[in-house]
Amino acid sequence: MLGDLYGNRAWLILAFLIADVMRNTLKLVLPVIIPSWRFFDAIAPSPRIEYALLTDGEEAPIAWVELRPRPKTISFLTMLRRILWNPVWNETLFLVSCSERLLANPTQHSEDEIFDRVFADIALTDCLESTKCFVQFRLMSVHRELSDLVREETFRSAIRPLDKGGAA
Amino acid sequence: MSLELALRWTEILLGFAFVQQSLEHLKSHQNDRILFGLRLIFSVILMVGLQSQWVLLALVVISMLMLQRFQGPYNGGSDRMGLLILFCLTLAHFMPTLQLKELAFGYLGIQLVLSYFMAGWVKVVNPEWRRGQALQDVFAFSAYPVSLSLRGWAQRPQNLFYMSWAVMLFELVFPLTLLTQYSLYMGLGIAAAFHFSNACLFGLNRFFWVWIAAYPSIIWFQERFF
Repeated sequence: MLGDLYGNRAWLILAFLIADVMRNTLKLVLPVIIPSWRFFDAIAPSPRIEYALLTDGEEAPIAWVELRPRPKTISFLTMLRRILWNPVWNETLFLVSCSERLLANPTQHSEDEIFDRVFADIALTDCLESTKCFVQFRLMSVHRELSDLVREETFRSAIRPLDKGGAA
Repeated sequence: MSLELALRWTEILLGFAFVQQSLEHLKSHQNDRILFGLRLIFSVILMVGLQSQWVLLALVVISMLMLQRFQGPYNGGSDRMGLLILFCLTLAHFMPTLQLKELAFGYLGIQLVLSYFMAGWVKVVNPEWRRGQALQDVFAFSAYPVSLSLRGWAQRPQNLFYMSWAVMLFELVFPLTLLTQYSLYMGLGIAAAFHFSNACLFGLNRFFWVWIAAYPSIIWFQERFF
């Protein structure tokens, strides 16, 4: 009797999990099957990711650094090469998507994806020698008000310790 | 172009687009290497043309895992179009009758036309696009211009006004290119040049390859129904 009760409960939980996965999959697939094709219909505020290196988990950030700032110029040859090979830029565009998702509907997934790339970029640049071993990022939204460009902070992440191996 | 030939060309072009994307992922983030390594292998087999329907099914499963992994498309519209092509191709292979195969593949052709027309429509109903202000904003502060010097284009409102209208008019009249084969080839040539310029200015290289992969569907559609 008790075994039946547990068995039924296990089936119920399994059915609930399957239904949840199917609902989530349908939510992701439907916009693919019936696309809206609303490219650039309105130019929304554009997020920029900035990060700060901290010495401890309680410190208030002072110096913010822009993640992956644009180069001043790019040659036409580089543009041509990027038609075939553009992994860093496409990853940067994915981070823009994650930032927009964080602002519209915050999820741990979006924050984790951004942190992963921030950690990887820091590992490639300036932190391995540093004593600073905590990281925080924020999103700065840029938009136009009349003829002026306005920047404002729209999100600030939790502070996370940096693994000196390159990933947290 | 026969249905079989159009399907085959779509498989080759989509396989190439997926190979290009998968190679980029193998480079960029180590956690995704297994998923994109598998997609790379199946995409090459798709281009070769072995057991296409089962290879397509495997690619659909991998795509589902990718959607879960990134909680949506990795690169917005280009990934959506890639998946749409993949779904339509797979359906066309598994449908039992010729009419149903044509329906599945024709849906892709119609969506390709809509991808241009709807993009034009949502722009032309927006006064900021009609004034050229929206394209100024794209260059001034959107995430897309690939260099700081390109942001300077925002200071050329007259040029951007004409560019805005050129883009909107092209997108809106694209369905009319279906009237003759010649006009369709002209339209697709201009569209490919448009995607090429977007790839150069905004780094949207995946759009270029994926949209071209959908062109055989509209070439077949035009011959079949016009």
